Amino acid sequence: MSTAAAVEASSMPRKRFSGLRGVRWRIDLGILPCSPSASIDDLRRVTADTRRRYASLRRRLLIDHHPPKDGDASPDLTVDNPLSQNPDSNWGRFFRNAELRKMVDQDLTRLYPEHHGYFQTPLCQAMLRRILSLWCLQHPEYGYRQGMHELLAPIVYVLHADLDHLLQVQKPYEDCFNDEFDGITSPENNLFSNYKVKRASDWDSGIETENTHHIMSDGHSLDEIDPDTRDILLLSDSYGAEGELGVILSKKFMEHDAYCMLDNLMDGAQGVVAMASFFSPVVGSSTNLPPVIEASSALYHLLSIVDPFLHAHLVELEVEPQYFALRWLRVLFGREFCLEDVLVIWDEMFSSSNCRLIGDDVEYNFKVLCSPRGAFIAALAVSMLLYLRSSLLATETATTCLQRLLNFPQNPDTKKLIEKAKSFQELALVSNIVPSSSQRDSNKGRFRVSSGYSLPSGSAFPVPPLHVVPDSYWEEKWRVLHKDEELGEQSNSDQGSAKKKLAEKLSLYRTKSEPLKAKSALNQSSIRQILFDDVSSDIGAVENHVTSECCEAPINSNNLNVGDFPVVLADQRSSDWIGDETLLSGDNSVVVSKFVYPHDIGNEHEIDSVKSSVTSNSFLSDNDEETFNMEEPCSQNVSNELAQDAEATSSHIADAVPEQRETPIHWKSFAGIFQWFWKFGRGSNEASRESQSSSDARHTNKDSFDTTTCEGTDNSCGVNKRIEVGDKKMIHTLRNLGQSMLENIQVIETVFQQEKGKFDSLDNLSNNILGVKGQSTAITALKELRKVSNLLQEM
Amino acid sequence: MVLVLAIGDLHIPHRAPDLPAKFKQMLVPGKIQHILCVGNLCIEDAHDYLRSLCPDLHFARGEYDEDARYPERKTHDWSIQAWALHGHHIIVPWSDLDSLAMFQRQLDVDILVTGHTRQFKAYKHEGGVVINPGSATGAHGSITYDANPRFVLLDIDGLRVLIYIYELIDGQVKVDKIATTLPAH
Repeated sequence: MSTAAAVEASSMPRKRFSGLRGVRWRIDLGILPCSPSASIDDLRRVTADTRRRYASLRRRLLIDHHPPKDGDASPDLTVDNPLSQNPDSNWGRFFRNAELRKMVDQDLTRLYPEHHGYFQTPLCQAMLRRILSLWCLQHPEYGYRQGMHELLAPIVYVLHADLDHLLQVQKPYEDCFNDEFDGITSPENNLFSNYKVKRASDWDSGIETENTHHIMSDGHSLDEIDPDTRDILLLSDSYGAEGELGVILSKKFMEHDAYCMLDNLMDGAQGVVAMASFFSPVVGSSTNLPPVIEASSALYHLLSIVDPFLHAHLVELEVEPQYFALRWLRVLFGREFCLEDVLVIWDEMFSSSNCRLIGDDVEYNFKVLCSPRGAFIAALAVSMLLYLRSSLLATETATTCLQRLLNFPQNPDTKKLIEKAKSFQELALVSNIVPSSSQRDSNKGRFRVSSGYSLPSGSAFPVPPLHVVPDSYWEEKWRVLHKDEELGEQSNSDQGSAKKKLAEKLSLYRTKSEPLKAKSALNQSSIRQILFDDVSSDIGAVENHVTSECCEAPINSNNLNVGDFPVVLADQRSSDWIGDETLLSGDNSVVVSKFVYPHDIGNEHEIDSVKSSVTSNSFLSDNDEETFNMEEPCSQNVSNELAQDAEATSSHIADAVPEQRETPIHWKSFAGIFQWFWKFGRGSNEASRESQSSSDARHTNKDSFDTTTCEGTDNSCGVNKRIEVGDKKMIHTLRNLGQSMLENIQVIETVFQQEKGKFDSLDNLSNNILGVKGQSTAITALKELRKVSNLLQEM
Repeated sequence: MVLVLAIGDLHIPHRAPDLPAKFKQMLVPGKIQHILCVGNLCIEDAHDYLRSLCPDLHFARGEYDEDARYPERKTHDWSIQAWALHGHHIIVPWSDLDSLAMFQRQLDVDILVTGHTRQFKAYKHEGGVVINPGSATGAHGSITYDANPRFVLLDIDGLRVLIYIYELIDGQVKVDKIATTLPAH
């Protein structure tokens, strides 16, 4: 507990009672008033009320089926006999309760065997059983489900620990709690309730009892005691407000308090995350999924943003999130960590508020991510997945993968996990919103701040740091790109640290390109629309895509000072996009995901090789870099995509939507990202070399962007490089890639011709930009793509 | 809170095809902890059925029981001594009060469940309870005619015994209750 307090104290303004977990949790869960101005008396009153409620509940529900023989109206025997089929009869209820208790007992006997000294004692078991039975009786729609006891156990433990703490605190002040009423002790001893503590000398004279209490060596007045101790003492004063019932840290009423905490935790206290819903198979109202399944997919959604590679891997292995997340979520990670770690984690979790952050009219993807607490839960799950990243990526089958996940290693670095989770929390919250155009910017801003993940700073993840180009360049790009979009909402946007932004951006874009689950059109639209100002939110509307594409292009070009490169990008993008659209017109989700702009280098994980090929092609083609350095990123890009192709499965269409606006900058960042992935995928020494060169490449890219020539030479070089390093898998995938590229190219070309006119008709700058020059460059690029594909096919 | 079913004289299949449907409805597994059966089930199937209600089945052999394995008296030990015996050759004259009392003293039981006469009796005698649950199927017997199907459920809670008598009268199940407290000894 003290460490938790220390952590809290250092990181944020000191919370009240941070040394007392039980009280802290009660405040966080909403039982006790959380405003800092709530007085001790208020707390005591609220506590007393909750306890009274529990007492009456218990009286009501614990039935004595033998009615007193005092001559009350004897129950109708046809109803009230033991074999009665009537569900209302006392006996019927008795039997139902007995069954419930049996179920609860089954779980309780297996609760925390490593702490059996506490949890397995008959008293504790009886209390837990009573609490659980009463809760289940009170909420018959949920019944008792395995796992509820695991939610209750830390609560009880924490209350008990508080009592221990209280005893320790009380020791030096034992005399204050002397409530003997016999005449032996001086009446002054009871002055504690008047908030006056006599000095030791007075006590000495006053006390003449056989029960020698500790004589306080130095005098204390209540004001001299430090505030925390004073608070603790006041909380447990038997003579304060509401008397014994108001003593907040009370052994007698531990059951009552535990019940209240469990109740609030399960109901969510009008918040978003209600644990009880995780146990219920009832489908949620907005989605057609049980809440726990929805939460599991929220988890995967977040993972797909943060680490698309791992996400794709898991998806390829067909590891559904709920296989492991069910246990994680239902007991709030109680089974994955030892008890002490669980307490620390729950501290953090409860300190995030459970209030719904987004308005009622805002569409969201996952209900669980609507509140910070839910976001933290998902973020912690993702951070746990990332902790296991390397071993998960090494697994070949779903079984081994699940084995790894379900046997979370002992003693992880909890602090790091929590920090990571906190960093993802924002991301999760933001990604949850289905962005309307106005929210796009705020999302971007938030994204910027959110995940430093992808550039791990030497933490548990074996990821090499990405190289960062000079700040000034990026800063400029950033500002230029976003000058129109910065809105006040971006409270988090931190213009100060370009490097951080860069890093985030790098990570962001990489993640943004992440394939979202195709199942939810909302997901796709959310990310996509983030970047499209004027796009209407009709995912299925191809026309919208086109429009957005075209709209995007001018905007990008507006923002970018680099010559025609963005034009080309936009051009390519649109064309590619359209090409994709025609390719996959029949597939709604694919169409959506077709947003993966070819320039969306972030789509490392494109499941759709078509897309990846297009992307890589465009990347390659647009890459004006003539140096060999540039090839490496290209090749990396391609090889990444190859790697992706290797993993490619059906459902996840990369939805690297948002990047469009930041495409030029993304290029460079993607280059770096690709290097990272390349390296990761290959684990070769070359990666370091490549990364070196990639940073150079980025520099050179900058220059090259100013030109609009799309050369295919680097493509070939890149291909050669690929050949050098490719293994069999690569070759195979290269072949596939080549074929798909070819198909794509053809489509693009045809569509491009068709759409030329359409572009012109749109009222935006793209008309000017997608002029002759742009088209020609695009066509050139396409030719290069063709070459590349031929090369690939030859391999 | 022990529920004990006292049942007997089913005479399946000779004199009755089966337990009345309403009784079967009520007798669901899981509620009853023990069964004291006084005999004359007559066939294995009936025995199996009772066993399905509750695994703890105590059985005393009656004169028509086909399986010769059953003992003639059976006791069960929980908080209260309860015996089941059929009584057709033990209690002579049949169902005679004094004979039963003699057995009661002899066996030092608190609850004696007997059968054979197919006549329902439940009374306290000398600090013990004697119960004859009658015939659960309403099978006729040599002494009684037109007996109603009946069985008895004992709710034993320490020394307090509640006797619920379930009787099928005119197609309706009627329940009667006798409460008694056994003297401690």
